[in-house]
Amino acid sequence: MNISKNLIKKTGFNFSPLALLVIVLFLLFPLIYGDGYILRIIITSLIIAVLGMGFDFSSGYINIVNFGYAAFMGLGAYTSGILTTRLGLSPWITVFAAILFSGGVGFFLGLLTLRLRGIFAACMAWFLALVVYSLAVNWVGLTRGSSGLIVPRLFGTPSNIPFYYLLIFIGIISYIILNKIINSQIGDAFLAIGQDLEAAHASGVDSTRFKIINFTISCAIAGLVGWFYAHYFRILTPEVTHTRQTVEILAVSYIGGRGSLWGSFVAALIVLPLLEILRPIQELRFILYGLLLAAVMIYYPGGMAYLIKDIASRFRTVKTKLSF
Amino acid sequence: MEVLINLAIIGILRGSTYILMALGLGMIFGVMNIPNFAHGELYMLGAYFGYLGYVVLGLNPIFSIIFAFFAAFIVGGLLEIIFFRQLRKRSIAGKWIMNCFLLTLGISILIQHIVQYIFGYRYLGISAFWPGRTLILGIIRVSNDRLMGFIIAVVAVILFQLFLKFTKTGRAIQAVSNDEVGAEIVGVNLKIIYTLTFAIGAGLAAIAGSSLLAINAAHPLMGLSPLFKSWIVIILVGMGSIGPIFFGGLIVGILETVSYSYFGAGWQNVISLVVIILLLIFKPEGIFGKKGVRGIWEQ
Repeated sequence: MNISKNLIKKTGFNFSPLALLVIVLFLLFPLIYGDGYILRIIITSLIIAVLGMGFDFSSGYINIVNFGYAAFMGLGAYTSGILTTRLGLSPWITVFAAILFSGGVGFFLGLLTLRLRGIFAACMAWFLALVVYSLAVNWVGLTRGSSGLIVPRLFGTPSNIPFYYLLIFIGIISYIILNKIINSQIGDAFLAIGQDLEAAHASGVDSTRFKIINFTISCAIAGLVGWFYAHYFRILTPEVTHTRQTVEILAVSYIGGRGSLWGSFVAALIVLPLLEILRPIQELRFILYGLLLAAVMIYYPGGMAYLIKDIASRFRTVKTKLSF
Repeated sequence: MEVLINLAIIGILRGSTYILMALGLGMIFGVMNIPNFAHGELYMLGAYFGYLGYVVLGLNPIFSIIFAFFAAFIVGGLLEIIFFRQLRKRSIAGKWIMNCFLLTLGISILIQHIVQYIFGYRYLGISAFWPGRTLILGIIRVSNDRLMGFIIAVVAVILFQLFLKFTKTGRAIQAVSNDEVGAEIVGVNLKIIYTLTFAIGAGLAAIAGSSLLAINAAHPLMGLSPLFKSWIVIILVGMGSIGPIFFGGLIVGILETVSYSYFGAGWQNVISLVVIILLLIFKPEGIFGKKGVRGIWEQ
């Protein structure tokens, strides 16, 4: 028992029973439902969820909002897309290029801007995203501009199922890695920086260095998801990197709950399918969406993650009361 | 040489929009510590209100711009009362700026889609407020609307400056910007000042949006570009006083025109960013980095 506990601690595989149940249900889902429209919606939502988690790794822990996050996903997607189409490389090789390139650009941007006050660091990331968008639109020779770059698919089948399992695998692995970092000493430094920058400075934390580490990892995750995105949807347009996309990731991440990592999975899998269901009311659903985001910000800044934790802790107190 | 002067004139005329936008943005950030990413939406609302005033209500051009100012003034005030006042009651110190940033994104989604819901996804424009063209300095002909847009912006900036300097309310706004606690001690009602600041900022953005209605037709997504350009102005010059913002706006306008004419459409963002990055590396305190101008660095 002790050994297995240690093993769990070492690998960072510390899912709660509820989370494990949900994961198993998701793994079984295609076996019951099969392939189709709903699976596609779940994949789209999961893409945003993993991005939301990567985004949260920066915003929830070091309090840096990467307002150009979609661009880092776009960089990964275009890197892999261009390498596979121009050089004929296999997507299974270019995945590393996508991660390295997004992470690398994140590293240099961080080096340059993470000493700025938080909101200006966010602005600089945003400007970078606008530039990436402009490049994707205008550098037609490389990206084929708005008409879209056609990219080979990862699996040679029209089915969504292998993609679905790959994405779940990416999500779980990313979560385990990020969670492991958060629970290490580096994670403590992140938390110190996020909660009180001045105090972190005073106690000798080299904040810029840790911010850059964090930012680079977060951007690398975006590159990984971008790679998946490119080879799943097969067509890449500059819209991938648009500010609208960043706002969507950000909304999911914040409605899910800051500093929880898993919150964006809950938010993405509830809110995005809901938006899909509400399609008949058209514009109204986005008005509701904007209201929801504003309301969460004002009245429940902890988001869904805190709501669930809250319910769970109440449930536990009820249980202890009953055992008396 | 003549080409350069042409570009400079066009750039300066274009820059007036960014001056008005950046002024409101800088004031809202300076007084309330809100990085307003819904500022572009207020510009967009200005364009719609200008259209309503001119086409639907049949006002003359100047009055439709004034109508847009007051309509956006009211919307801005309401936004402050409905959203930011509520957030201020609940926000934890130290998290305020980031919370506000996200709240403004929510507001931005909200305004965009309410407008889309009411007016649909089409361009609402007019041919011209003031038809015709004028010869400037005997060199270049520009449309009257462009020229009047610039004049209106300059007048608005001067009026705004007079308001800040010579009215009690204006001085109170400046006082809050300098020292919130001190201002409250001497009896400034912070709540009213906050609401007013946001409302005036919204109004200034609406003047920019409505006066250029003939050039940029009203559209739900039109706010993004003026928003990020006014942020570029703020990053270039900091957000202290009016002078730097004025020059910053002109610089961004000229930069945009020059890169547009030498590199072609679509590349101006790339050039602007390169300039900002070079500036951050070689002159990190900003162009006008000096005392009294709030910089962008942590310490």
